[in-house]
Amino acid sequence: MIPSDYLSVALLIAGAIFFLAGTLGLLRFPDVYTRLHALTKADNVGLGLIVMGLVVQAESWAAVGKLLLIWVLVLLAGASVAHLVARGALQRGIRLWKR
Amino acid sequence: MTLTRAKISWRTIVSRMGLFSLIWWVLTNGAGSSWWIGVPAVLLAVAVSIALVPPAPWVWSELLRFVPFFLLRSLIGGVDVAWRAFHPGVPIAPDLCIYPMRLPPGLPQVFMVNTVSLLPGTLSVGLDQSVLKVHVLDSRKDFLAELEAVEQSVARIFGASLEVSEGRE
Amino acid sequence: MQTLYLALALFLLVNLGAGMWRIFRGPTAADRMLSAQLFGTTAVAVLLLLAQTKENTALLDVALVFALLAAVTAVAFVRRAWTDQEVDHDSE
Repeated sequence: MIPSDYLSVALLIAGAIFFLAGTLGLLRFPDVYTRLHALTKADNVGLGLIVMGLVVQAESWAAVGKLLLIWVLVLLAGASVAHLVARGALQRGIRLWKR
Repeated sequence: MTLTRAKISWRTIVSRMGLFSLIWWVLTNGAGSSWWIGVPAVLLAVAVSIALVPPAPWVWSELLRFVPFFLLRSLIGGVDVAWRAFHPGVPIAPDLCIYPMRLPPGLPQVFMVNTVSLLPGTLSVGLDQSVLKVHVLDSRKDFLAELEAVEQSVARIFGASLEVSEGRE
Repeated sequence: MQTLYLALALFLLVNLGAGMWRIFRGPTAADRMLSAQLFGTTAVAVLLLLAQTKENTALLDVALVFALLAAVTAVAFVRRAWTDQEVDHDSE
């Protein structure tokens, strides 16, 4: 393994841990709004780290561009879908959990 | 408060052509032979994009300055929520708060709404006449400062000025 | 490295399977939609890892299409299919 491989491995594993955190939040958080927090933020960071881990390994600038493009698309989609679902839930009267 | 709409200038056309050409180049893995289809596709994309998204006076340097700020804050957002998800006690104290935006309506507000959902502890749950409803994961934290910082950055990106706040503490 | 890519892809699939619990459990339609979003993001990550394993760049394009489709389906669902009034089960 060359040094960039170690960096890649660290980024990929860190990314997977964020995915795990997203699912944990999805299962453990008490209402749909808090679950949205977990899913949107943790999964986007997870995907971002995995993309970075693969960018380190990429063989061409075009491949780097494609990986980043995919991430930006998922980021945009994630943010707007989160907003739509949360707005829909609020309009339909789903109450939010309070401590 | 109003966003001055820029006229369709050569600068808009050239910068969008550059952007779409870059995307085409990425999609085709840098294959040079594909430009027979690529050039018409890029020109069509520019035409459609100008019809759908009228040119806004972007300040590119401010957008570039926003990228590292956004990446860092969204990383912190991920770490923050991951920590709360892993913690056995699930340390959250959610609440709903109202944030009257001073940004002009349209693209600047949409930009802010989507950014807020990826920042630490905040989630946009509604936008009604410039009033943003934000769900916060931990109401004990100072999320207002964060929202104001984002609003300032977005205003700079779109070259909009925020009015001096009235009726707001 | 190949083993790591495959192991991580498998880990993400298991993770996705655990998230499926939310679909069955609900309790609201909004909760089920969350799992749809989880699907989108995880599928993209798995495809990226597989593209690297197989040195198959076509899988990158599949990931790209997935990223676009996940957004479109979720938006379509929220705008069109989600019409019923929700009963709040969360506070029980």
